[in-house]
Amino acid sequence: MAAAASARESVGNRVLGWIGLLAAFGFGILVSATGLIDEFVYYWPDIEYLAVQHMRLVAISGGLAIVAGIAIGIWLSRPSMARFAETVMQVFNIGTTIPTLAILALSMSLLGIGAVPAIFGLFIASLLPIVRNTYAGLKAVPAHMKEAANGMGMSPRTMLLRVELPNALYVIFAGIRTALTINVGTVPLAFLIGGGGLGELIFTGIALNEFGMMLAGAVPTAALAIATDFAIAQIQYWAIPRGVNPQR
Amino acid sequence: MFKSIARTVTLVAALALGTATAATAETITVGGKNFTEQLLLAEMTEQLLAAKGYDVDKRDGLGSTVLRQAQENGQVDVYWEYTGTSLVVYNKVKERLSPEETYEKVKELDAEKGLVWLNPSKANNTYALAMNRSEAEEKGIASISDLKAKLEAGEELSFAVNAEFPHREDGLRGLQKTYDFRYPRSLLKAMESGLTYQALKENQVDVGLVFATDGRIAAFDFVTLEDDRGFFPAYAITPVIRKETLDANPELAEVLNGLSAKLDDDTMRKLNASVDVDKKTIEEVAGNFLSEQGLI
Repeated sequence: MAAAASARESVGNRVLGWIGLLAAFGFGILVSATGLIDEFVYYWPDIEYLAVQHMRLVAISGGLAIVAGIAIGIWLSRPSMARFAETVMQVFNIGTTIPTLAILALSMSLLGIGAVPAIFGLFIASLLPIVRNTYAGLKAVPAHMKEAANGMGMSPRTMLLRVELPNALYVIFAGIRTALTINVGTVPLAFLIGGGGLGELIFTGIALNEFGMMLAGAVPTAALAIATDFAIAQIQYWAIPRGVNPQR
Repeated sequence: MFKSIARTVTLVAALALGTATAATAETITVGGKNFTEQLLLAEMTEQLLAAKGYDVDKRDGLGSTVLRQAQENGQVDVYWEYTGTSLVVYNKVKERLSPEETYEKVKELDAEKGLVWLNPSKANNTYALAMNRSEAEEKGIASISDLKAKLEAGEELSFAVNAEFPHREDGLRGLQKTYDFRYPRSLLKAMESGLTYQALKENQVDVGLVFATDGRIAAFDFVTLEDDRGFFPAYAITPVIRKETLDANPELAEVLNGLSAKLDDDTMRKLNASVDVDKKTIEEVAGNFLSEQGLI
């Protein structure tokens, strides 16, 4: 019975595989027929130049958000903050409810135009997932572990560094992955306030109704988002100690 | 099963009926591009036509090419286009023409596509490169040729542009061909159309792309660089309407020409400035202008 089921499943998988292959093949034909490859070759210098700008915006805003987000998450999870933690979290929630475009517009009126307000806006937009996951990860560390650490005579600081953080790391990383992937996908909006990035190709493509130019911005953006997520997943896999890593 | 098919059929029939009645009602779709002057013109046209008893549907904030495409496809009935844009960008005409010839040429070429150019206004909203007066004087830049010379001498003068300009034949592409230079990629700062003025005012860039009829040029004390090789064509603001729409509503020509006759460079600059400098709303500025001129 089980064998039959698994046989059926493998047939199903094979059919799916073929369909996938055919779809990829068809897509390839479509791509070359519409001259998209030529378009990409034509825009390649732009793509290269803008992708560097794009990743610089992600790295700076995301880096700042990781440092600040984890620090705030740890601070909120301390027993002294227990009464205020949820209230403070709501403030960060607001940062996420405001559309990113509005955040960019607001930071533009504070910081002028260019890369600086764009970085600030992106920083605000990617802060919440990191704070939320750091806080939740630390709160979810089993009480018996903390008690044991306490019983061993660890100071609160040692306990945080040696027991709580390693145990929460997996959840914290999940937050970082969410935040940075969204960040990469949001950077195109930075174009509107002169921040640069691949949004330039996307918005110019829209303004000029040039499909190829739009894709020359959108496809690399999507690829960067996937690559970023993959890179952090690798760090997540290797950086978290074996004992507390559900993947290993 | 049968019931759901019957429901779908009813729905489709209802939808078809809906579109049919919508087509017979006098709904005029007014288009507009994505900068102040165009938002103002679209708003004025909407208020004007509404006052004449039409149902108006306004679609503004679009890029030039998208808007033109929408009009050719019949999704937009009327909007204000610039003669030079149609000549160089849509009709790909390369020869240099006088303002009158430009108008006659686009009128003739676009007629084949079912678009009617009504009377041109006296407002010529050409592109211009602007700098802060103090910086331009200090560096001794008065014309685009001066700018080219400075760039070739290795000076880093950053240039704020909108999304379209670098890729338009009547924009940077053609400008570079005419003046035979290349603006370095790293010095081009692309952004939303209206922000180029703010960027220049705050000294975040050295050169800004501006429109000649914009009120902020005077208000922010900018100087525009002389186009000493006469590259930019004339851009007379003109209402362009689909022939089908005009045939169904011939009186629209008179209404729109009436508004067109009231527009010139000074008027446009003042109207644009009341939105961009004095921060009045587009609705208010458009409404005030129409009633002052006795159009509504």
